[in-house]
Amino acid sequence: MSLLQLAFKTISGNSFRSGVVFLCALLVAAFALFTTLLIRGAESSLRLAIDRLGADIVVVPEGSEAKVESALLMGVPANIWMPRDTVQKIAAVNGIEALSPQLYLATLADADCCSVSEMFIIAYDPQTDFTISPWLQGHLGGGLRLGEVVGGSYIFATEGLQNIRLYGYLVTLKANLEPTGTGMDQSLFLTFDTAQDIAYKSTFQAEQLLEIPSDQISAVMIKVKPENDPRVVALQIMQTVPGVTPIESSNLFQSYRKQMTGLLKSILVILGITWALSVALIGLVFSMAANERRKELGVLRALGATRSFIFKSLLAEASLMAFFGGLAGVVLAGLVIFLFRKLIVVSLGIPFLLPSPLALLLQIGAGLLLALFSVNLAALLPALRISRQDPAIAMRE
Amino acid sequence: MNKTMGVLIVGLALVIGIVPLFTDCLSQGRMLTTTAGTNVPMKCHWTAIAEIGLAIPLALIGLINIFSKRKETLGSLNLLGIVLGALAIAFPTVLIGVCAKPDMICNMIMRPALILAGTLTILSSVMVEVKAARMQEIAA
Repeated sequence: MSLLQLAFKTISGNSFRSGVVFLCALLVAAFALFTTLLIRGAESSLRLAIDRLGADIVVVPEGSEAKVESALLMGVPANIWMPRDTVQKIAAVNGIEALSPQLYLATLADADCCSVSEMFIIAYDPQTDFTISPWLQGHLGGGLRLGEVVGGSYIFATEGLQNIRLYGYLVTLKANLEPTGTGMDQSLFLTFDTAQDIAYKSTFQAEQLLEIPSDQISAVMIKVKPENDPRVVALQIMQTVPGVTPIESSNLFQSYRKQMTGLLKSILVILGITWALSVALIGLVFSMAANERRKELGVLRALGATRSFIFKSLLAEASLMAFFGGLAGVVLAGLVIFLFRKLIVVSLGIPFLLPSPLALLLQIGAGLLLALFSVNLAALLPALRISRQDPAIAMRE
Repeated sequence: MNKTMGVLIVGLALVIGIVPLFTDCLSQGRMLTTTAGTNVPMKCHWTAIAEIGLAIPLALIGLINIFSKRKETLGSLNLLGIVLGALAIAFPTVLIGVCAKPDMICNMIMRPALILAGTLTILSSVMVEVKAARMQEIAA
């Protein structure tokens, strides 16, 4: 009988013990993969959101930083305004290559004139925009015309095949952006002209007027010249333009990063406790099994099995249970995180994006390795002890 | 193993039958208003109702798994278990569906919970099916 056959026979012979070890391995692997996927998913989502923003600095009205972060990251509409002449004041600062104003708007909540309730809308100036226009140029071969919009990955047409109703105004959804896992996936992008047209027609088409204060904007996106340091430019803007706050893209979403760090710490503590308890429980189960099987293993030794064979068979048994338990754990964790990702985003308040297949495979491999390591570590001492016992004494007991 | 899988299938049948009732849009007081002005439930509600009809025979299969030792019974019943698991997935995804907005509760909880429970039902039934087939082989 080979090592693996013996291990399989022993596993099927004691379903309770095998079940406990299987469950512990499942728990360790599932929790490890879940944690890694969650944290990595949030990190990559934040990085992608900053890339999508396409600006080195975002200038917002003073005191509205948190609102802007919530809007960009979680799609919570922000109603913030600053004078339009801020653009000219910022343009006077040295080191700026391009700058473009944006308007932040939102649809009405539970109103018949809006197909989607409280949706975040970003209006951009097609003359100066450098954030979404390159994408539009690449994917649509040109900019958006009056009445046309592009949406995040979650946006879909609600009226007919291509239309969405905004303040009673039917806009045409031209395309969807790639998912980022952030609020941008639930946002709509349109030009200043379309926003003004919707606002004008909302007086007689909508339940409530869309108000865009004249000569006001919500934010200014800035691209810094390659030879200049964005930090220095941001400092200059802060010193020369009153009433605004420049946020460097690398500093964006700081509050969410802090929240994620806190979450990571808590999860790591829980993971550590789960791991330690699982290893202790598996160790206990193997010690009990080793005591129960003293006679059986003594007979094996008397029949000619070497110490090394006994030791290896016990570790093979542990490895098999760890492998199958770990496999079930990573499959379960992967399935849960894939199916419930939207619920996780909403309940934890963090963005999330699934990793690439290669990264996912690596993380699954790491989860399986952790399960194998943990179970083998717990089984090592009992396996060593029982393989060293004298067969004559073991059989006599 | 059959008993463990039987208990698991009964648990999954309870999830399939009960969870949709508390996670469809009607349970949150959301309904569609027709042009005639009447309120009608959204389609996720009909999925929830269909899942109750599916959960009852599934629970019975689980119970029979716990108490039966006849390999022929286990073999044929768990084939039905596989079909019911597939239907539990098909109702919210293909056959009836759920509401279109991704942030609605039926999309966030009901649909993924049913897909997960359906997948686990299929896996459990396949495991009992394999075990029953092996029992038949040994008996032969």
